[in-house]
Amino acid sequence: MALPNQQTVDYPSFKLVIVGDGGTGKTTFVKRHLTGEFEKKYEPTIGVEVHPLDFFTNCGKIRFYCWDTAGQEKFGGLRDGYYIHGQCAIIMFDVTARLTYKNVPTWHRDLCRVCENIPIVLCGNKVDVKNRQVKAKQVTFHRKKNLQYYEISAKSNYNFEKPFLYLARKLAGDPNLHFVESPALAPPEVQIDMAAQQQHEAELAAAASQPLPDDDDDTFE
Amino acid sequence: MASISNEPEREHRDEEETGANEDEDTGAQVAPIVRLEEVAVTTGEEDEDTILDLKSKLYRFDKDGSQWKERGAGTVKFLKHRVSGKIRLVMRQSKTLKICANHLVRSGMSVQEHAGNDKSCVWHARDFSDGELKDELFCIRFASVENCKAFMQKFKEVAESEEEKEESKDASDTAGLLEKLTVEEKKTEEKPAAKAEEKEKSEAVEEKKTEESVPST
Repeated sequence: MALPNQQTVDYPSFKLVIVGDGGTGKTTFVKRHLTGEFEKKYEPTIGVEVHPLDFFTNCGKIRFYCWDTAGQEKFGGLRDGYYIHGQCAIIMFDVTARLTYKNVPTWHRDLCRVCENIPIVLCGNKVDVKNRQVKAKQVTFHRKKNLQYYEISAKSNYNFEKPFLYLARKLAGDPNLHFVESPALAPPEVQIDMAAQQQHEAELAAAASQPLPDDDDDTFE
Repeated sequence: MASISNEPEREHRDEEETGANEDEDTGAQVAPIVRLEEVAVTTGEEDEDTILDLKSKLYRFDKDGSQWKERGAGTVKFLKHRVSGKIRLVMRQSKTLKICANHLVRSGMSVQEHAGNDKSCVWHARDFSDGELKDELFCIRFASVENCKAFMQKFKEVAESEEEKEESKDASDTAGLLEKLTVEEKKTEEKPAAKAEEKEKSEAVEEKKTEESVPST
C-alpha cells in the first residue's frame, strides 16, 4: 500500500513492514536494494521511511512498499500505526549482537497484534562478520512461531534477494515464482555537447583518483 | 566466458552450525492475497549478440559526497545489435537481474585507468538504467587484472570503430550531397563543361575522404 502522497502503480503492490532493533541493518538492507550502495555509516531512522522497491518476476512486475521503521525506542514514534495494513514483514536481528536476537519475540508479538496471518521472514544479518554471537543452530524462534529464516549479509549480498523472493511467492501462492531479467530498453541516441564532454572528462579525472569503498574485498559474484 | 566468482555461500556457511536446509520452508501456511499469471519475459536483448561478458562490480561516483558508491555486482556485457550494429554496455545485478548500467558505447567515449588499482577502470556515460538519460561516472572492478584489460580493450575497440563509422558516414553524406548538386547542374545546363566540373568535384570528395580517415589525435 502506498502512502497518500505516493504514486500508485498498475501492477501488484504490497506493504512490507521491516522491524528489529536499532543498528541491525534494516535501512542498509533496503538501500542496498534501492541503489546498490552499502552504507557503512550508522544514522538511526526516525519514525519510518517508505521506499517503493520493484522486482521483475515470471508473473510480471511487482512492488514492495518497504516501511523501514526506527529500531530505537526513542525514535520509534507511531509504532502500531506503521503496522496497520501490513501485508508481509521482515524481522531483522544482528548475528553479532545477542541482545538483538533476544528482542525478536517482542518485535514479533507487537507486529502480530496488528497484522494477523501475514507471511514473515526472520533475517539474521551481518553473517559476513567473523565473530558471531548468535550461531545458526541457536536460532530457533522461527520454528516455534512458523516464520521463514534466512541468514543474510547486506555487506556481501549473501542471500540478499531471498527474503523478497520468499514473500513474493507466499503472497502470490506460487512456489515457482522467480525473478527474471528486467527489460533493458534501447538507450536513445544523443548528441554530444563538446563543452559538457570536457567537463565530464575533468570530473572523471578527479574521480579516478578516489579509491573504491571496498578495495580490500575481492570476493563478489 | 571467464568466471571469477568466489562462492560467498561457502564462506558464510558454518558446516557444523547449520543443521537446517537453507531452502526449507518453516513459514506458516498463509492464504495468498493475489493471483498472478505467468507472463512472457522480454529481456530487451533479444536482437543483440553478446560480444563480451564478465563478472564484475560496478560503482557510480557520488559528486555530492565526492566518493564512489556501489551500484551492483553481476555480469557486465557488450551487446551488438544485429540490425543497426550499435553496441551498448548492459550490466545486471546478479540474483535480482535488475539493470545497473545501460548505455551506448559511442565515438569519443574513453575508458581510463583507475588510479591505484589495476583491476578497475573508469568512464563517463549517458546512462539509461532508469529509463531516463543521466550523466554518470562509472568505475568497474574485476577479480583479475586480465579481465580488466580485456574489458578496457573491448571498450576502446568499440569506441574507435564507432568513430570510423561516423567518419565514413560523414564522408558519404558529403559525397551524396555533391552528387546531388552535380545532377542538378547537369539538368539545367547540358554543356560539356559540366562533365569536367563533375570530375573535379568527385576528386574533391576523394580528397576529403582520405583526409578524414586519418585518425584524429
